[in-house]
Amino acid sequence: MANTFHLKIVTVDGLAYEGDVQRLTFRSIHGDLAILARHINYCTAVGMGTARVLMEDGTERTAACIGGMCSMLDNECHLLPTTWEWSEDIDIERAEAARDRAEQQLREAAALSEEARIRTESKLYRALVRIGSAKQ
Amino acid sequence: MAAANMKAVKLRIKSVQNTMQITKAMQLVAASKLRKAKDKAMASKPYLRTMKGTLTQIANENTDFQSCFTKAGTSEKRLYVVIAGDRGLAGGYNANLFKFTEKEVEGHDYAVLPIGKKAVEYFRHRGVEIFTDAYAEVAKVTISDCFRIAKSVCEAYEDGEFGHVSMCYTNFVSMMSQVPKSSALLPLSDFENPELDENGTRDLILYEPSSEEVFNAIVPEYLAGILYTSINVSVASELAARRTAMEAATDNASEMIENLSLFYNRARQASITQEITEIVAGAEGA
Repeated sequence: MANTFHLKIVTVDGLAYEGDVQRLTFRSIHGDLAILARHINYCTAVGMGTARVLMEDGTERTAACIGGMCSMLDNECHLLPTTWEWSEDIDIERAEAARDRAEQQLREAAALSEEARIRTESKLYRALVRIGSAKQ
Repeated sequence: MAAANMKAVKLRIKSVQNTMQITKAMQLVAASKLRKAKDKAMASKPYLRTMKGTLTQIANENTDFQSCFTKAGTSEKRLYVVIAGDRGLAGGYNANLFKFTEKEVEGHDYAVLPIGKKAVEYFRHRGVEIFTDAYAEVAKVTISDCFRIAKSVCEAYEDGEFGHVSMCYTNFVSMMSQVPKSSALLPLSDFENPELDENGTRDLILYEPSSEEVFNAIVPEYLAGILYTSINVSVASELAARRTAMEAATDNASEMIENLSLFYNRARQASITQEITEIVAGAEGA
């Protein structure tokens, strides 16, 4: 099939996926985007959101994809996210607990330092992305 | 005299035995920790390779030089991130790395960011300028620490404090061999092999939203990732070095005990023989 390209998803914890796919959708720092075969050489930074991978056989898998970079060079796509969790691997209860904890901290602590607030907020975003990805 | 000598030998055997027990225990602990650390290091190797490969390609094909991370800094000063161990008794692990680092930094104006207690001690002792010693314990460094380190290094680099950033760590080649290695971190143009196509053209890359924004977002991530994987690899190297060193120490101790026991038995026999001779001589004299 000429309409597929080679995708490699690698995180610091190891190789998450390697194989030919039809389409990769994820959220970059600029917004959602999809990569198809024979895309122009391309490089962007990955934001926080749900990623979808349309496999060669037409099945689609979703995952929570946060941070990192994505490059497409000569029909070879490398996605290097900070965290990548396939939807089926996400522990919803844990994510929901993390969300509740972060929300509570943000509500209660008016005296939170700037740095702590940013950290708690990003924890909340991460939990929300996980929950959103798992429920799809 | 023989009796006193025998007692000393016996004490010596005891003390060597005690030492051997410790080295043996350390060997076993290192071996069991090593298995986990090795898996972790091996799991992060593809990331390191892919990240380096992609960035080298991007650096080679990059025609935009707006981001300060892609062009060489103006400052002559270099920053070296040195990843060593927390403890000694790991053979030449720390010493080899420091020797290697000394060679690397020769002739440059530099500061270090030591990771690991031994590295902090070493550079403090030598009076080298230390960027931060907040990450003294290599065993406790987490991925979020790596992000913090990366962020502060990037900020210092952006401010022009350093013109180049490199890293010295120990590469895990195999269970028996660990080699100190250095690797350029910033700027991206420090990556080697500026290969062009046969006809000398460069592939153009589309950066979205802009090369500057992409690099500013990617570079701290890349640094954190590289640091984290290098720390994993170094920890595995340290454990492997310790295991080998302790194995050798245990072997030496058992050899020493063998020799000492032989000596002890000889002395014991000699004293018995002497006693018999004395008794016989005494009986004959009577």
